[in-house]
Amino acid sequence: MIKTLLLTCGLLAVTAGLSLAEAEVGKTAPNFSLPDTNGKTLTLADFKGKYIVLEWYQPDCPFVRKHYRSGNMQRLQKEYTAKGVTWLSIDSSAPGEEGNYPSEKLNEIAKQDGAARTALLLDPSGDVGRSYGAKTTPDMFIIDPKGILVYKGAIDNKRSTDLADVKTATNYVKGTLDAVMAGKTAPATATQPYGCSVKYASR
Amino acid sequence: MLIRTLQWIALLGGFVLGYPRPAQAQLYNGKELVRSSLISDVNSIAPGQKFRVGVLYRIEPGWHIYWKYSGDSGIPTKIEWQLPQGFKAGDLQWPLPMRDKEPGDLNVFVYTSEVLLFAEIEAPAALPPQPITIQAKSDWLVCQSLCVPGRAQLSLNLAGGGNTASDSAPIFQRYASLVPQELRSPVKVGFSRTGKSLVAMVDGIGKDMSLDFFPIPPEDAVIGHVGRDGNRLTIPIETEVKPINRMNGVLVAGSDDRRQGYEINERTVVGAIHSQKDFLLVGFLGLLQMLGFAMIGGLILNVMPCVLPVISLKIFGFVSEAGIHPKKAFRLSMAFSLGIIGCFAVLAAIVVLLRTAGAQIGWGFQFQDYRFVILISCLVFAFALNLFGVYELSVSAQATHGLANLARGQGYGGAFFQGVFATVLATPCTAPFLGTASAFAFAQPGWVTFLVFLFIGLGMALPYLLLAINPKWLRYLPKPGDWMLRLKQCMGFLLVGTLLWLVWVLGQMRGVDAVVQLGAILLVIAILAWIKGAFWTPISSRRSRVLAVVGMGLVLCLAAASYGFVTEPSQLVWRPFSKSALDQALASGRPVFVDFTADWCITCKTNERFAIDTPKVRQEFLKRDVVAFKADWTKGDPEITQILKQFGRAGVPMYLIYPSGNKETQPLLLPELITSETVLDALNKT
Repeated sequence: MIKTLLLTCGLLAVTAGLSLAEAEVGKTAPNFSLPDTNGKTLTLADFKGKYIVLEWYQPDCPFVRKHYRSGNMQRLQKEYTAKGVTWLSIDSSAPGEEGNYPSEKLNEIAKQDGAARTALLLDPSGDVGRSYGAKTTPDMFIIDPKGILVYKGAIDNKRSTDLADVKTATNYVKGTLDAVMAGKTAPATATQPYGCSVKYASR
Repeated sequence: MLIRTLQWIALLGGFVLGYPRPAQAQLYNGKELVRSSLISDVNSIAPGQKFRVGVLYRIEPGWHIYWKYSGDSGIPTKIEWQLPQGFKAGDLQWPLPMRDKEPGDLNVFVYTSEVLLFAEIEAPAALPPQPITIQAKSDWLVCQSLCVPGRAQLSLNLAGGGNTASDSAPIFQRYASLVPQELRSPVKVGFSRTGKSLVAMVDGIGKDMSLDFFPIPPEDAVIGHVGRDGNRLTIPIETEVKPINRMNGVLVAGSDDRRQGYEINERTVVGAIHSQKDFLLVGFLGLLQMLGFAMIGGLILNVMPCVLPVISLKIFGFVSEAGIHPKKAFRLSMAFSLGIIGCFAVLAAIVVLLRTAGAQIGWGFQFQDYRFVILISCLVFAFALNLFGVYELSVSAQATHGLANLARGQGYGGAFFQGVFATVLATPCTAPFLGTASAFAFAQPGWVTFLVFLFIGLGMALPYLLLAINPKWLRYLPKPGDWMLRLKQCMGFLLVGTLLWLVWVLGQMRGVDAVVQLGAILLVIAILAWIKGAFWTPISSRRSRVLAVVGMGLVLCLAAASYGFVTEPSQLVWRPFSKSALDQALASGRPVFVDFTADWCITCKTNERFAIDTPKVRQEFLKRDVVAFKADWTKGDPEITQILKQFGRAGVPMYLIYPSGNKETQPLLLPELITSETVLDALNKT
């Protein structure tokens, strides 16, 4: 009897542990639906079957500017959307915080920057940002066609706002996408992101 | 906004024009956010002399710059020295920063108002011609809720020849006192790993003092926020390339102006302080106290319903013999007591062996491991049920028989085995306590486990040792009776109290969901225990026993199924419902299914699990390209309430199917209780 009890406890305890995990590399990426800057609601699950890049974005952050001013982000967006990757930028700035702009303004900035993303999504409640544990702008997430998160973290290894660093940096997003799309394992699964804090609403 | 744009233009101009540039003002809304200056504690230097130079940052109120590990966001402040030939700079010295919290559970390590980052410089034996120019290039990020990068190219001229202190010397003194000290006695730190957490145990810091750890993780690692419980600090490791078994950083004791930082770096000697230590009351007195409790526990075992009668029958006769042959009876009592203690020693050995074996295959028996807490909670609860009398434990008849034969022997050997026999016979009553004690012992070092068990044995043997000394004390022994049963039941409450503490520990670690899941596991254990008590007793018929096994199997299957039911993610692609999203979907001409549901609605969840999210329905949805909406009424969304009313419903569940390609047709309303067939039929009708 004791044996049965122990076995039961053990099994239940182990399985109970599994379900308490959060959004993690190697696990299914949390689904979400968010409106984009054109008023259309997009659902992550609708893109299943494709590689998806999530880019936490805040137009006024110097780190984000570094990657747009240098053309780095647009280059990545162009290169990979051409290869069938869905590129979703997400702005989680709360109302009244830096980077919370009306859609028209964001579209204007995108036009000026020559952004080549699939869509820019608005997450003013910060719910999606929190569910992914997005900390900084930029903070990058890569999801494979099965919906599994394969990378999260920094865009590259030069943690600065210096435009010149873009040329010499190792780009983790490029590295990961090139590897996984060629059926190889990713060089890194998670890195510490760097940038401004995501401007979440205080709770 | 205009100013911000202008500022960007100015900054970008800088990028285009290229670096290095001279120190420039960094303006934001007309304010200079950070004013930096290069200072030294000397005006002139002698050959070979050591002196200090540093960058003094004066920061606008409300803004901050970052420490060498910036935390979840931000960037460390950087200084690059440009020194004349022959000068050598030491490590940059970082005064203790503040931990600052930002919305979204982000933690950063920052300096506000003013800080001096400095280094020691060693002059060469032969000084270059004067003036001696020291230069520093600094980059920083200054943030409020928004961030602005800044940089400065600074320079400072020093005279050669004398060694004269400068006006800035007191500033250096002040900031030098804020730089963390080397970790030294009596403060000690020990690291250990438990799964995905690095645990640091800190010794030598007052119990009520604030304690924090500002980590400096390796570049390739991702870590979470440091948690504190007493003198134990937990650092969650999210990603590591090389296994992390210790971490550099600064230990911070005290609060506000009284904070003291202790530096932990590669050279710091970290002790092997065991993380179990705070559960085992530290020190000699603590150990004595624990052993005292163990002995009292052992003593209490004697008055358990299945022990006291045994003692009365078998042992008292043998003790009262002492009147006739005092010396022999004393030795017999000793042998008997040794038998009891021997049993406990064997139990302790088993626990220690299991623990070692477990540790070898990587099981951490520690209270920091939530799985261990869940396991112990289950055990404690199961034993509490036993004490309440929900079910009984029984010793196998064969083992009892064999032992009885051994115990029949005469002399000291016989007495020894009588001790063993008494202990084993008492198992049904003592197991709950010993089981619980064993479980807790898993988290202790081996030798402590041994001592504790020996003292439980000693406690249990104590009456016989005392009676052997003076048999007249026999009359003070309580007589067996109903009170023993009541006492046993009361002990059950003691265990439930222990359980309450464990639940609290788990709740602290994993949150309310984990507590509820544990509750569910305990419910399953309660049902299993009840079946065992009702249908599987030593006097139960064969049929009853078969029934018991089938019942238990059913309960376990049901538990496993409902576990999957609760946690299995939906395989259908659900979209969150809104009126506009619905209109959009209808306009696209695809058929639409809307599930009005709520987390607290069991019917809804059952329908979803067994009628909607089934292979057949999924396949049909895919074939017909159905758009599935989930209208979540958990928090009483007014838009959803209105639609429910529109269809004459007061609540959920409600299911609507809109036929394809026709915006004007009324949707099909399904009944509240549905099967897969209901859904499929409805789809075919439309």
